Amino acid sequence: MPGISRSPAIAGIGITEMSHRVYGRSSSQFAADAIRLAAADAGLEIKDLDGLLINAGITQGVGLALSHELNMVDLRMLSEIQAYGSSAGAMIQYASMAIANGMADAVACVFGDAPLREGTSTGALYAGEGRKPSGFSALPLASGVRGAPVQYAMAARRHMDKYGTTSEHFGHVAVSSRAWAQMNPRAQMRDPLTLEDHQNSRMIAEPFHLFDCCLVSNGGVAVIVTSGDRASMLQQPPIYVRGWGQTHPGYLPDDSNQQGLVSGAALSGPAAMKMAGVSLSDINVAEIYDCFTFTTLISMEDYGFCEKGEGGEFVASGALAPGGSIPTNTGGGQLSSYYMWGMTPLSEAVIQARGQGGERQVGQHDVVLVSGNGGCLDHHSTLILSSHEN
Amino acid sequence: MAVLAIARDDVSAEFFDGTARGELLLRKCLKCGHINAPHIEACIRCASPELGWQAAGGTGRVQTFAVVHLRGDPPSRLVVAKVGLAEGPWIDAQIVDVDPDQVHIGDEVTLDFETPEGGEAVPVFRIADR
Repeated sequence: MPGISRSPAIAGIGITEMSHRVYGRSSSQFAADAIRLAAADAGLEIKDLDGLLINAGITQGVGLALSHELNMVDLRMLSEIQAYGSSAGAMIQYASMAIANGMADAVACVFGDAPLREGTSTGALYAGEGRKPSGFSALPLASGVRGAPVQYAMAARRHMDKYGTTSEHFGHVAVSSRAWAQMNPRAQMRDPLTLEDHQNSRMIAEPFHLFDCCLVSNGGVAVIVTSGDRASMLQQPPIYVRGWGQTHPGYLPDDSNQQGLVSGAALSGPAAMKMAGVSLSDINVAEIYDCFTFTTLISMEDYGFCEKGEGGEFVASGALAPGGSIPTNTGGGQLSSYYMWGMTPLSEAVIQARGQGGERQVGQHDVVLVSGNGGCLDHHSTLILSSHEN
Repeated sequence: MAVLAIARDDVSAEFFDGTARGELLLRKCLKCGHINAPHIEACIRCASPELGWQAAGGTGRVQTFAVVHLRGDPPSRLVVAKVGLAEGPWIDAQIVDVDPDQVHIGDEVTLDFETPEGGEAVPVFRIADR
């Protein structure tokens, strides 16, 4: 890449305590803790950080004031980034460009959120209950499109109708994620899950059962991006950010609409792999944004791990599971481990690329693909991470 | 459960004047004539921001749908769809008076309105006679 003199690399990662029931701490406190943990992981002090990128979750509880909470002075880069579930990938991309061009030397990218409150259902929160709806944006709400499960259920139904994908196919994604989660001490859902359990779980929005839907968590995750040269002198093995891409399909409300049929991965994936100088067969591990089982299935198709329309058979083959041909969501993903938007796949990708996955560590882990997804397949980001610079 | 009460705002005022008199107003491009969905701010075909209004004929097809399960006593289900209007635009709307198990992609639907108490009239659809 012309003009780029310093390869960006991930030097630190911080994951706060998380569970279904961590109350009494603010989004901002989680975010600050995540940064402290990430700095300590890298072997850096907070004062060594000269860049901060912030992605606030659904409660919008973290902002620029986070820099004050951490007493950060003379930052050379400070911004909030918002592209929903694709934000984590986007933050790493912007940080990488800043590192490569010398704008900053060590950038913390952080997500923090605390949507769970005692006595309030998360469904109600994500559906925006309590806010007074008005205008055009309220029409879908009035009609019953309340919350992400309904939107994604409509998207998934199109895939089922066109390609013969079934609820059992979705179930295989949930079962595979749970099998990985059972080996992840940080995972919130570690009880065994069978296809039958998936099929018997209550309906949320047909075609989705409960176990097609992700968790919601309180917590924070931070990642520190620096130059490869600097990272190699620090505490952890550097994980190079080799390639990246974004796609925002902008699905239009007419017959051109491919929502549920083709995701942003179809463009973002090849762009990221081209930048990294790798092909699909080089990828050892896939960490895919999985707000719903269907999101994993369509993303894998669009990245090219199987033919278009064959995602159902592909996931049913066990390809994603422990021992499968492309180990996917190896920490349990958002379905079974923890829900930190795009930080869930990113954090597990760094753990795997370093070889620190413990019982769930994948043998070959040189090149890891990380997928972010936001809105209803409206925003997509891809990262190619590697323990090798080239 | 039926349709939820919602309010108008400045941008949607003319649209809700339309629904109040039983019309689903679409945005017709004054430059190229293309018919756009009601919330569109610039023509999807020619990008012009100069848009007028035209009432929909009132027929369309189910492009996709979800069956939402509502907890409550008794629990209930409602059908939410993306309806492709005969004029071209897609809108999100509820399919009413239907057995949720009898809805299919491609079903023909016809326009109606529901006016929840304290809210604006909102377009809904019924499955057309087969």
